[in-house]
Amino acid sequence: AVVSTQSTGVLVGILMILHAGFGSAQHRAHLRVSEQPYEGLPVDILTQCVLGFVIACIGITKVAGDFKDISATNDMNRKTMDSITNVPAFYHFAHRGRAIHSVIY
Amino acid sequence: MLRPAETVHPLGENKTWPEIRNTLRAWRKENIRCSDKTVELGEYALQHYSASLGNEKWAVYEQVCIAALDMCPAKMKLVNKCIQVLSEQFPSSLRVSMLEGLKFEYLKKWDAALEMYDGMIEYEPTFPAPYKRKVAIFKAQNKIVDAVNELNKYLGTFSCDHESWLELADIYTTQQNYTKALFCVEEVLLQYPHNHLYHQRYADILFTLGGKENLEMSCKYYSKAAELNPGNVRALFGLQLAATTLSGIGKLSSKAKSDHQSLAAWASDTIEDYYKSQKTSKSLICEVASTLDKLSLK
Repeated sequence: AVVSTQSTGVLVGILMILHAGFGSAQHRAHLRVSEQPYEGLPVDILTQCVLGFVIACIGITKVAGDFKDISATNDMNRKTMDSITNVPAFYHFAHRGRAIHSVIY
Repeated sequence: MLRPAETVHPLGENKTWPEIRNTLRAWRKENIRCSDKTVELGEYALQHYSASLGNEKWAVYEQVCIAALDMCPAKMKLVNKCIQVLSEQFPSSLRVSMLEGLKFEYLKKWDAALEMYDGMIEYEPTFPAPYKRKVAIFKAQNKIVDAVNELNKYLGTFSCDHESWLELADIYTTQQNYTKALFCVEEVLLQYPHNHLYHQRYADILFTLGGKENLEMSCKYYSKAAELNPGNVRALFGLQLAATTLSGIGKLSSKAKSDHQSLAAWASDTIEDYYKSQKTSKSLICEVASTLDKLSLK
């Protein structure tokens, strides 16, 4: 689902940024109508934009999944010799399984 | 999602859905051939969690089909069901035809299987799987020479396939043709230089060949394997044996001899430290220590 507990962070962050954008557009329109000079955006819109960005960043790390180790060998060191010789493309079925699993159920 | 009260939990333990899915994924990725567990877990997942699986469902069907073939004739119905579901979803797919070919191979209908694979090769010569199945057919019939020839022919065209080089190295090792096995493992090492297991395999074959130069090379490769993975105890044991043997071979300067002996001693200490760090019982550690003292090749 698009709205799940994990992706709420990203959604909230994006919505805050959009809301800050609309707010700044409305602010400039209001200044144009009331013929006041434009001296920069109000502090609350700026803080909302920055906060929305931070929340979206934190939310993305939750959605993106587990981090992998930096060292390439850490992943490989967990492999064992048991499975290294298994090549699925060359599996054949001429083994004892035929005799062991001979009862059909 | 509520599970009905009377279902038997897979593998006798209570597993949550993410655990089941991750286990199946790990078995797929790591090429672990535990067919009975795969069939039990996979069947359970397909029955109860088929909606949560989504598109992974088809990969699980393939995995369960191949695992069930290991357990035939008991699971033949499951094999047929998997093939039927997959062919309904993917009507003219080569991968599904491979599963049908596998079924022929299980039923020992070699000619039918070979005919099918030859047809697939003619239709799509760049699809590597049928070539490999032809090699597997020869292996199953124990026709090793044909299998090796076929595999060499395949590797002439598809020379980047590290799996096939590994398989060829395996076949050569079982036939005790160690120099050719070395060449195959070298090809694999070129592609995966960070994998400690391949370095250890190379060193194992060198050690088996024997002789002063080979033993020295095997020391180097065992050291590399131990450097990449300090927990690779087989590499440490190999290093200890190779260094001890080298210190006893023929005419050596005293410096070379003491070098080899100190290397062997370092390897023994590292092995003991590793066992201690894994919290093995004291009696086992004493046994290991005494065995290490007696280890040497005559």
